[in-house]
Amino acid sequence: MMFTWVFLVSLFCMGTQDRSDPDDGVIQCGPQNMTETHNFTDQRIFLTWEDDPSCSAIQEELIYEVEVLRAGKRVHDDEVVVTADHIGTTHSWNWTSPLALECASHSIRLSSRYKNHTSPWSQEQTIPGTSPSDLPKIFPQDRVVEVGSRVSFCCVLEPGGRFDKMFIKGYNSTDMNTTKISNQTYVLTVDLNTPPPYICTDVICNTYDSGACVYVGYPPADWGLQCETRDLQSVECHWNIGRETHLTGPRATAYRLLGRLCSDEETKRRSCKQKVQVNVGERNWTLKAQNVLGSHELTDRADLSERVHMFAPKKLTASTVNSRNVSLEWSWTIQEYNQLHIMCQIRLRHGGQTHMINDSGVGLNVTVLRGLMPSQRYTVQVRCGTEHHFWKWSDWSTSTFRTKDDLPDSLDVWIQTEHNQTIIIWKKLLPNQSHGDITDYEVTWRKATERERQNKTIFPPEHSVALSLDTSEEHIVTVTARNVIGSSSPAAITISTLHPGREVESAHISGSDGGFNVSWSVNPAASCGYVVDWCPTFSICRVEWLKVPPGVTNARILSEHFTDGVRYSLSIYACTQGAPELLERREGYVRETKLPDNQIQLKWEQLGSDVQVSWTAIAPRNQSAFIQGYIMYYTDNSTPRSNLNRSFNIGPEATSLTVKNLPISSYKFTVKALTSAGECGDTSFSLSMNSLTDKMIMAVIISLVSVFSLLSLVTILCYRHWTCVKLKIYPPIPKPVLTDNWLTSLGEHGRHWLHVDSCHHSETDIVDVPQLYCKQPPGNGDISQEERHFVSAQTQSPKGYYNQPLRSRAPAALTLNTKNISSPSGLPSVPHRSVFVNPSYDSMLQTDDHSGKYRPSMDSVSPSSPELQDGKNLDGYQPQSPVETCGQTQTEENPESPLSCVSTYILIPHSSSK
Amino acid sequence: MADRRTRGTTGPEPSRTTAARAAAIAEQLHHECGLLLELFRKKESLSPDLTAADGRLVSVPPPSSQLDTRDKLWRLHSALLQCRGLLERAITKEEEELGGAEKGEYESQRKTVRDRLSLLLANTGELLKATDGTAVLTPSLEGSEVDRPTVLFEVKLWIYRIFKELDYWTKTAITTLQALPSAAARERGRSGGIRRKRSARR
Repeated sequence: MMFTWVFLVSLFCMGTQDRSDPDDGVIQCGPQNMTETHNFTDQRIFLTWEDDPSCSAIQEELIYEVEVLRAGKRVHDDEVVVTADHIGTTHSWNWTSPLALECASHSIRLSSRYKNHTSPWSQEQTIPGTSPSDLPKIFPQDRVVEVGSRVSFCCVLEPGGRFDKMFIKGYNSTDMNTTKISNQTYVLTVDLNTPPPYICTDVICNTYDSGACVYVGYPPADWGLQCETRDLQSVECHWNIGRETHLTGPRATAYRLLGRLCSDEETKRRSCKQKVQVNVGERNWTLKAQNVLGSHELTDRADLSERVHMFAPKKLTASTVNSRNVSLEWSWTIQEYNQLHIMCQIRLRHGGQTHMINDSGVGLNVTVLRGLMPSQRYTVQVRCGTEHHFWKWSDWSTSTFRTKDDLPDSLDVWIQTEHNQTIIIWKKLLPNQSHGDITDYEVTWRKATERERQNKTIFPPEHSVALSLDTSEEHIVTVTARNVIGSSSPAAITISTLHPGREVESAHISGSDGGFNVSWSVNPAASCGYVVDWCPTFSICRVEWLKVPPGVTNARILSEHFTDGVRYSLSIYACTQGAPELLERREGYVRETKLPDNQIQLKWEQLGSDVQVSWTAIAPRNQSAFIQGYIMYYTDNSTPRSNLNRSFNIGPEATSLTVKNLPISSYKFTVKALTSAGECGDTSFSLSMNSLTDKMIMAVIISLVSVFSLLSLVTILCYRHWTCVKLKIYPPIPKPVLTDNWLTSLGEHGRHWLHVDSCHHSETDIVDVPQLYCKQPPGNGDISQEERHFVSAQTQSPKGYYNQPLRSRAPAALTLNTKNISSPSGLPSVPHRSVFVNPSYDSMLQTDDHSGKYRPSMDSVSPSSPELQDGKNLDGYQPQSPVETCGQTQTEENPESPLSCVSTYILIPHSSSK
Repeated sequence: MADRRTRGTTGPEPSRTTAARAAAIAEQLHHECGLLLELFRKKESLSPDLTAADGRLVSVPPPSSQLDTRDKLWRLHSALLQCRGLLERAITKEEEELGGAEKGEYESQRKTVRDRLSLLLANTGELLKATDGTAVLTPSLEGSEVDRPTVLFEVKLWIYRIFKELDYWTKTAITTLQALPSAAARERGRSGGIRRKRSARR
């Protein structure tokens, strides 16, 4: 029992001893006075607390455990170690939530731990999340994040709302992940690995009317800070923009130079200025660039007194302007510049030319420009910099001035002879030669042997004058130009009695690069150099010329008037103390051009199997290039694919070509001129060659036709002139002289036929026939058709009937060509009546009374009457039909034929007694 | 009444001309508003599904067939004035929050719309004066300051709604202004007693 009591007492003592241990009080140690603050923008939670007084007993470090609960779930824990010497002070803890604090309620609680003793959790400090509204809410809003960040957005649905979708515009869905943290809240986590496509990128939840905007960008990364002074009172720094931050507006980068914020205007210019002490030697000049995502510091170390970037000179003016020099003045806006050693560049521009002049001095603000040209407008620019420790040039200052006028330069005079006139021509003075506007030109001339002068005033723009000078005398001509200041020195030229340009052979010259390179032999007479003049060879022109100094024997001739394909004549003269002396001549083209086609006048001739082509030479006037020769091509037309046969290539003087031994065929010949521009002036013709056999046949045919034509002509002539021919060949048969007895006795012996052949018997024969007397009709000549009719009607009966010979009785022994008995007067048989003096014959022909012894006429008897048609019944007499008579005469006797002879029977009337 | 009658004989001619000109300006503005909306949609990549229906930003008396020509004109003028105020604020806000980038086609079109709206307002104001001869009141926009959004997403929607509102009111302007001459003619045909009553009510 006693033991039991002792044991219990011991235990009590031990328990009492334990309570007296300092650790006994630590058990009560923990946080007190916890204060929670938070920042929604930063998503940061701040927690401060104090130690319980019992903690003061702790000699070692005390550890606080912090636990963060989101929507009741532990999302973060942390430890805060408090060393023994800090026990009793206020402790703090902060944490940045990866998720916006509005997304859900956040609770923070603390517990302390000392050795093995852990205090219970303190009371939670809770940050309530946002309350739902009628539209989904998305957090965080307007967040600025750096490219490459992982960002979480939550979507707090409206009460009873159902989650549909959540995304961020412009990013791939593979970079997004959506999780649910409560029934009402969903979280989108996205890796923003690329710069945003928009200034502010939208995060959308369910509907497009609810969302948030997030800026995704970079912290500043500018570079290249460079500081200088311009006014010697402040520092001005410039920098270069680095990577695009993608942040604008209030989130854009702000700059601070030496701690002072640069203005927006300065920021836009990437320049910032601040008043400083300049003469402080070398030091660092610092610019800080900062935006929401970070900051960047740029430094430049420099002594500003060695980095003076001057302002441009002000009020730059030409204070004193003369014809050939000008004083240029300017001023400085910064007074301190007047003490600086300044060097300046003066840039003078005039007529497309630029001259640079340098000048320097302390506070330099004036300079003199010399060697200027009179009456010229100049543009002058000035920029300056410090001479010692030169840093940069200032900007240019610009001004213009015009120098004053001066006397004109001497003229460049030349002569040209044209139609017995001497044209004095001079070059217009350029602006830099006239030194002011030219008012007029004065031309004076005199004979070399006389002192008396003549003059003439020429007004611009004329720059030539035609003078009719005595060509037998040498003349001296002078020309002066005048402007408002005065006259130029006279330019003189001597005109010789013999005009230049004679008796000198011309050589060919080739142009190059739009001009001529001409050279000539040295001539000792050329005391004052040479003159080359030129003009188109074949057209009227105003001569151009170039004067070459002594000792130079070549020149490059250029002219804006040069035309391709035009022949020019160039003359080289020696400039002497007297008149110019022609030395050499050239002819050539600046550039030869091809002759147009069909320029060559061709003729051709086949000579057996040869073809000779000839042409007229192209006149030089019509040549656009020198003709070096001719070439002829011919192709066989009968074989279309035959090769072009080159024929001959001959010199320029030739005017014909012959192609020998050509096979008989059809050919196309083309003649071309050869020039340096190539073959040109193509002229073609086609020729079908004739064979020799064809030619012979043709000759025979032509001969035959000729002979036939000749014979026909002779025949016609003979026919037409038959009377004449007949007279020549067959003289007229004498008319038989019939006596009354002869007739009477004849009549007594009955009726007789007289057959008279007037053509085939000689005069003797005819004379032997005493019955007829054929008398040549008066005025015998050409006999017309009517006359022939008339002739055939001479035996017409008074009633119009004809005597017609019977065919059966048509012996050619004795015929009478009735034509030769015709009367040119057209009167039938009247002359013959006077010739036929036989009264009985006359009475028979003319007296109707004798017709009673006559047979019935056609008036009373039908031609078809069988009695009348039968010649036997009529005893040799046959009544005639006029139609039949005519037709038979023409068809059978062919009265048209000049050689035909008509036999005519003359009917001797019966005696009425019988 | 005598004054009204006098205007009735001389007023309608210039009024008709002004109304036609104003209608033409409204048509042009409506076209330009459409372009501006499209450019804004493109710039901010707004979805075609975006409704932005959060009530009207412009507050005017409801339309009614009882309104006479002058009241319709006043209602239109008031709405357009509010539109211009909203547009000015939208531009300022947009420059503050989203600006800073280089000016492009959108900014140019925005300025064109603003200028054209001012021109339309000058014409509707002229029409109002011609109708009644009284000075044109400028509606206060102070109340709408409360509605100015603070977060960027809402700023975008707000600007979009302003453009939509402007689009709506320019369309209304076309209808109202084109109908103006015929409505005025009808009213002239009525007796003057009605006018007297309304004047008395005022």
